[in-house]
Amino acid sequence: MPGILYLRLFIAVGCCLMLGACSVNQIVAKSSTSLIEAGVRSMNQETDLELARAAIPSNLKLIESLTLELPLDRSLQSTAAQAFYGYAFGFVEDDVPARAAHLYKRGLDHALAALAADGVKVNLLTATPEAVTQTIAGLDRKAVPALFWAASNWAKWIDLSRNDPARIADLPKAASLMQRVLELDPGYYFGGPALFFGVYYGSRSPMLGGDFARSAQYFDQAADYSHGQWLLTEVFRAQYLYQQMADRAAFHQVLSAVLAAPDSPPDMALANTIARAKARRLLAIEENLF
Amino acid sequence: MNRLIVCALFWLGLAVSAHAQDAYVLKFATLAPQGSTWMNIITDWANQVDRESQGRLRFKLYPGGVMGDEPDVLRKIRFGQLQGAAFTGHGIGSIYSPARIFEMPFLFRNTQEIDAVRAQFMPEIEAGFRQNNYELLGWMEVGFLHFFSKKPLRTLDDLKKARIWLWDGDPMGIAFFNASGISPVPLPLTDVYTSLSTGLIDTTIAPPLGAIAFQWFTKTPYISEVPLSDGIGGLLVARSFFSKLPPDLQALLHKTGEQASIRLITETRRDNEKSLAVLRKNGIQTTLAWKDVSEKELYEQRDRAAAELIKSGYLPADMVTRVYRAITLYRSKKP
Repeated sequence: MPGILYLRLFIAVGCCLMLGACSVNQIVAKSSTSLIEAGVRSMNQETDLELARAAIPSNLKLIESLTLELPLDRSLQSTAAQAFYGYAFGFVEDDVPARAAHLYKRGLDHALAALAADGVKVNLLTATPEAVTQTIAGLDRKAVPALFWAASNWAKWIDLSRNDPARIADLPKAASLMQRVLELDPGYYFGGPALFFGVYYGSRSPMLGGDFARSAQYFDQAADYSHGQWLLTEVFRAQYLYQQMADRAAFHQVLSAVLAAPDSPPDMALANTIARAKARRLLAIEENLF
Repeated sequence: MNRLIVCALFWLGLAVSAHAQDAYVLKFATLAPQGSTWMNIITDWANQVDRESQGRLRFKLYPGGVMGDEPDVLRKIRFGQLQGAAFTGHGIGSIYSPARIFEMPFLFRNTQEIDAVRAQFMPEIEAGFRQNNYELLGWMEVGFLHFFSKKPLRTLDDLKKARIWLWDGDPMGIAFFNASGISPVPLPLTDVYTSLSTGLIDTTIAPPLGAIAFQWFTKTPYISEVPLSDGIGGLLVARSFFSKLPPDLQALLHKTGEQASIRLITETRRDNEKSLAVLRKNGIQTTLAWKDVSEKELYEQRDRAAAELIKSGYLPADMVTRVYRAITLYRSKKP
């Protein structure tokens, strides 16, 4: 992909010289965004985890460099937020959680930049929970990707910083962003909003706001949206809900089913390969968890 | 030569299996979520014990309330499904209620007082747990419990107009409310958040970190400066498990438990301080300040609650008197 980008750079510089005005970098960046979208599609279809692990960092930096040129490009910023989430979740979190927390924060910053491009003037990181809810109430469907990746990155950043009261206090804000996505487009990203709330209610004891019945409903909804093909839904159901319920039999059965699931549709290939790897890892430590 | 090697392997095999038989597993539960400050310290403690015992004593940790709330955990310890837990005052009250003397309403004003007074009573507290079939390995604190309210509380009398949550079945809470003439709303912990939303209650009681972790702070814009009491906790194991351990492992658990306790108390205090700052940043305002209440009022409420708890046999009268005396003495020596 970088090779093609340099070719585009050459053409763009040529055009710019001819036109004699405009920011060269911006033209290059704009001409590259469609390539980025194609790159994301291609990465989502990857089934070789080692290839993905090696390839994603350079692409992340490429996307991030484009956001420096086009900070107001909401689609690019959302793509950056998604890419940071995907890399941290798939390849970093299980081994180096502290590093993953930083990557999620960077993903969150890109999503917030996308929301700023959508007209959000309030700093959601520092605003009170009420101010956040009020601000996002005015957003429409166009803001769904930014809201979704902001909430996803934010919740993960909090999850990996549970020893920091300032982070824990932000959880209602992250949840309110995803609540807005649930209202605007509940089926977004293979039922991602329902999956989020499945984890939200399933990962905590009832004393701390957990609600197992509600969690199960959300997981079922999420599974419906992807017709049971998005395997992370089941991995999360086992990892969060069944572990919290201390239901070892269900945990084992669901994760075994993930490993035995048939091949995925191409756009789910990478995520489902990651889901299988996570299922395998969880089954390997099952004895310690129960 | 080959025979020699086979023999050596055989004996080595026996030695390994004897070593494995020596291994003790301490199944230990806590409500603290994975990754929280408490759980990180408890995990470090478990790793230290594993390391220093060379694998002879291992913890199996159950964080985040996966073993249920404290009454469930107590039941599971009785049935031998678990051997220990980090309990808060709620669970401790069911094991050895006099230990909750340090949770009495309006008893302490600051952490220095707590440290100075509690240290004098620890030997008898430890003995009390032992007589009740538990070994105390380390003391903990939940921290100062404040009132979190929807409306500002300007005087202690304002509490009478509030709809205050009472942790269902908690004798310490009941004594305080009876002593103050307040009619609380008894609810399980799990219902507090929803009840704040519906208006069934408008005031809760929590340490600052708890108000954040339970997300109650999003419903209550006011926090009392005056705390109701200091929430306690303890690292406890069943005597039925502890007494079977060889003396060196018993000593190891005590030594490392004490170290963990010091870290837990220090970090909890730090987390609560940080939490107060976070709450302020989130727009929570201070109410019921120290200047709004008189010492006389606080002492009257404290004494009435103590009288109730003595009457019901929850706290021993002589212990209450001795704790009061120790506090008075400590305060008289302070400049």
